[in-house]
Amino acid sequence: METVEREITVPAPPGEVWPALTHSDQVSVWFGADVALDARPGGRGVFRWPDGTERHAVVEEVEPERKLSFRWLPFQRTAWGDVEPIPSTRVEITLDEVSEGTRVRVVEQSALDRRTTRIQSRASGGAFGPVLAAIDA
Amino acid sequence: MRADRTDAIFSALADPTRRQVIRALSEQGPSTATGLAANLPVTRQAVTKHLITLADAGLVTSTRRGREKLYQISPRPLTDAVSWMADLGARWDDRLAALRDHVLTPKRRR
Repeated sequence: METVEREITVPAPPGEVWPALTHSDQVSVWFGADVALDARPGGRGVFRWPDGTERHAVVEEVEPERKLSFRWLPFQRTAWGDVEPIPSTRVEITLDEVSEGTRVRVVEQSALDRRTTRIQSRASGGAFGPVLAAIDA
Repeated sequence: MRADRTDAIFSALADPTRRQVIRALSEQGPSTATGLAANLPVTRQAVTKHLITLADAGLVTSTRRGREKLYQISPRPLTDAVSWMADLGARWDDRLAALRDHVLTPKRRR
């Protein structure tokens, strides 16, 4: 339910993709934020978006050319210095060597409940059937 | 939507029985705990407990009807929860496409 999964295949070997995930200057190119990342277990990540919003993360797992995971700390700081709570989520990025190059897979899910809970949705009527199906998906 | 609210909603929806309660409310329309328990494999007391959690998260609202409360779905938070997830997915789509472009750019800084 509370899980977002996305993947893309990059026509390059994992050894070329990995630095793009772990070197701050390279992450900053594609993430949409200025990133200062200490890609070691327990290392901090500081992400600053163009609108001034700042979020912090803690690196959890690092398996070179294979897996990087981090947990967003449950707050963000706005450009005006306000601190706001945000959902506690955990991001796991894995690299798999495939014949076309590297499959990059991202799973972001609530850090409150790391189980990926899915229930089969009955084809249900009711006004909120489509909404419920989307939550179950 | 407020992010602390999102946590409360996802936490409430993480429980399969509570999702069944939401689904039953969606199908039956406004119902009492007794009416819901009749169609679910749990007791009225258990349904009442789940309804209180769902109400705390803003997912259902209640009105008094005689000795019991009549519960109904509050559609907005549910829709917000779905759109929050859709936004998150769209952000990762953009990031992954940018990551691929970056890796394939020959002159990237190393």
